[in-house]
Amino acid sequence: MTLSVIEKGADLKGLDIESRQMVVDTVRQLRKRLLTKEKILEFDKNEIFPEKEIREMLGPDIGLQLLFIPEAYGGMGGGARDCCTVTCEMARICLGIATAFFAIQLGSDPLMVGGTEEQKNKWLGKIAEGNTLVAYAVTEAGAGSNLAAIRTKADPVLNDSGQIIGYKINGTKQFISTGGYADFITLLANTPEGPAFFIVEKGTKGFIQGKGEEKHGIRASNTSPLSFADVFVPVENLIGGVPGNGLKQANQVFGYTRLMVASMALGGGKAVLDIVIPYSQERIQFGSPLSEKQGYTHKLIVPHTVRLEAASTYIDEVAERLDSGEEDLQVEGSIAKLFATEVANRAADDAMQALGGYGYISEYEVEKIKRDIKITCIYEGTSEIQQNIISTFRWKTTRKTKGEYYQSIRSEMEKIDATLSDAGCRFYALSAGALNDIIMQVHDRRLTRKQYIMFAMADMMTYVEVGASMARRAKILTETGSPEAEKIRCMSRIFANEVAQLVAQNALKILLGSGEFDHKTVSDWMEKISYTQLAFSHQNVVNDMDWVADILFER
Amino acid sequence: MEIVVLLKQVPATESYIGIADDGVSIKTDDIKWVINPYDEYAVEEALRIKEAHGGTVTILSVGPQKATETIRTALAMGADQGILVNDPTIATRDGLSIARILAAVLKSIPFDLIIAGQRAIDDDNFLVGTAVAELLGIPNISLIIKEDIADGKIKCHRTIEGGTVVIESPLPALITTQRGLNEPRYASLPGIMKAKKKPLDVKTIMDIELDRAQETASVTRIVALKLPSERKGGRIIQGDSARAKAAELVRLLREEAKVL
Repeated sequence: MTLSVIEKGADLKGLDIESRQMVVDTVRQLRKRLLTKEKILEFDKNEIFPEKEIREMLGPDIGLQLLFIPEAYGGMGGGARDCCTVTCEMARICLGIATAFFAIQLGSDPLMVGGTEEQKNKWLGKIAEGNTLVAYAVTEAGAGSNLAAIRTKADPVLNDSGQIIGYKINGTKQFISTGGYADFITLLANTPEGPAFFIVEKGTKGFIQGKGEEKHGIRASNTSPLSFADVFVPVENLIGGVPGNGLKQANQVFGYTRLMVASMALGGGKAVLDIVIPYSQERIQFGSPLSEKQGYTHKLIVPHTVRLEAASTYIDEVAERLDSGEEDLQVEGSIAKLFATEVANRAADDAMQALGGYGYISEYEVEKIKRDIKITCIYEGTSEIQQNIISTFRWKTTRKTKGEYYQSIRSEMEKIDATLSDAGCRFYALSAGALNDIIMQVHDRRLTRKQYIMFAMADMMTYVEVGASMARRAKILTETGSPEAEKIRCMSRIFANEVAQLVAQNALKILLGSGEFDHKTVSDWMEKISYTQLAFSHQNVVNDMDWVADILFER
Repeated sequence: MEIVVLLKQVPATESYIGIADDGVSIKTDDIKWVINPYDEYAVEEALRIKEAHGGTVTILSVGPQKATETIRTALAMGADQGILVNDPTIATRDGLSIARILAAVLKSIPFDLIIAGQRAIDDDNFLVGTAVAELLGIPNISLIIKEDIADGKIKCHRTIEGGTVVIESPLPALITTQRGLNEPRYASLPGIMKAKKKPLDVKTIMDIELDRAQETASVTRIVALKLPSERKGGRIIQGDSARAKAAELVRLLREEAKVL
């Protein structure tokens, strides 16, 4: 749907647009041959981890893993935009298989951020050569997002002269994607100096790769427990060569990996749209296609199309920022993940509804995708973890910048609105202003200690930031005379309504729900943030949805 | 073995096709462009011949600048070099006109074997490959499903009604592909990386030394383009028994459809 709209040129990391498109085309071909619908349904039904097919994707005839490996280690040197686009396309085919592919990338990340040159050459080189499955082994029964709680231990093993020659590992890991099949894993374990990543190869004595879990979705993906009983790893396999940097390395990659999960959710969301749109055009009930029925389309299809477009826009924007060399985009990664996974999950749920009985049986693939997508709201940090991160960090940023953070978004939106009056920017501006004010109120009353209120704020922040990104894209497309411009402006208006309504509703939820404010204060506040004007965001939105439906159904 | 593949960029089969306002061309705004599928078989076969006999594979195309994308895809599959005759007016040229342009280029480069798709799936002309062979004065074997090269000869199989015919010709020759010839390979990521560095020569019509410029003029033109008429709804024949329904069906076929 959207490749990046701004190709600024050579200063961005990654492939040229033509090469990226060729990789996307190759992935799309997989659906026609290696990963046909019949095979995908079969893997799902019988819980088959398609090792042969996945290894073929890593083989010389396809070589998909080369995408994310730097050129220095024999890869293609793709950037965040490339990885997001390609991961999205893979997830469009099957989220389970996309997960196995993602596991290789995730497993390589500790090496990428913390590995020594020698380690990168050896292990990234091995991945580049192909036929290497990798797993990222961090999660434990008692340690999910709270990585500091891991219990797996790595005790130094000394030689006669007292030098460390390796580590002895004991413990268990849980819910490890591709854990049962990985040729090597990157394992987080506690050394006396603190957590560190180690490489452990398949077949190492004492290392047991357990049986796969039976799962609700992504059944083509393998999820296994791993156990370690006095597993000896040589000191060369300590990533970075210095113990104690594991948590830092793990946190460093979240801005990126969560963006990837957002892309996977987006791919799943696109996959259901690929099914539900033609279905609704063909399915005749009461004498006309379902796509002609406004109640049906505007409830079950159009809003999801708009939200997924917004998700795609935001993901592209963050990916481009990463490719331009920005770091510390952890909160953006969280926003992308929270928004994309939740809207994709809802899109899949409604797609199933839109297909009625055909949605509920497995043949049409929708119910499978619906089961698959749910995992994206869970792994790499649940939606609630993301809400926690977003609200905490943005609150702090707002305080530190004395409100400048959201004020600048507000000003930017007002500025765009001055030249582009039909992209809903006025409501994005109003929403950013209201949000800023709420953060201050919540801070002043010390309501930041109430997690429910923080979560409500996280949703406001997420919608405002995604909306601002949509407005920016509408502006760029309009300025460059893109044929997509009119469509995106229309979608931006519809999304601006969602943002305004969510902000208005959550503001009241916080102000009134907290019981901290009397009615007069709330009324004054509503006056101040132009609450009535926010309510006007509904203006004409039904007609806008008609228009989007006309585009979707090629009318 | 010098192998040249004639390649055309066409709309992907899943693209939504609408007729442009001029009534003789299609809307191209939202179209995704791909290698003509029959030409993809040609690329694959050329690569296999090269792998077996050595040599080079050259991709030759006439089309707009955008066609470099599909040539690049063929290079990513493994072809060695590409030549595009950049001609923005390709949509209005007829098959013979394009064949003349291709033949003119081919006269300036070495070849032992030319492979073309049997037809392009956009205009279904079935003409260009054979016309090129004629213009070059070389043998042409169409619609092949298998080929063997030995001793300067090519032996090809073609499916005919109820069987197979095996045809042999000396090289150089031009063959056109039929479905079933092979399964085209993926453009692999290593291939995509290498494709960027492979030579792709973009020429204009002016660069080609045609004997007489007017020879490339089209002799036919499209006067109208129509979408298939909308399918009318089906009809379910009512009746108490299969016999009664069959009788009614026969009556309708005879009296209304007038096909019996």
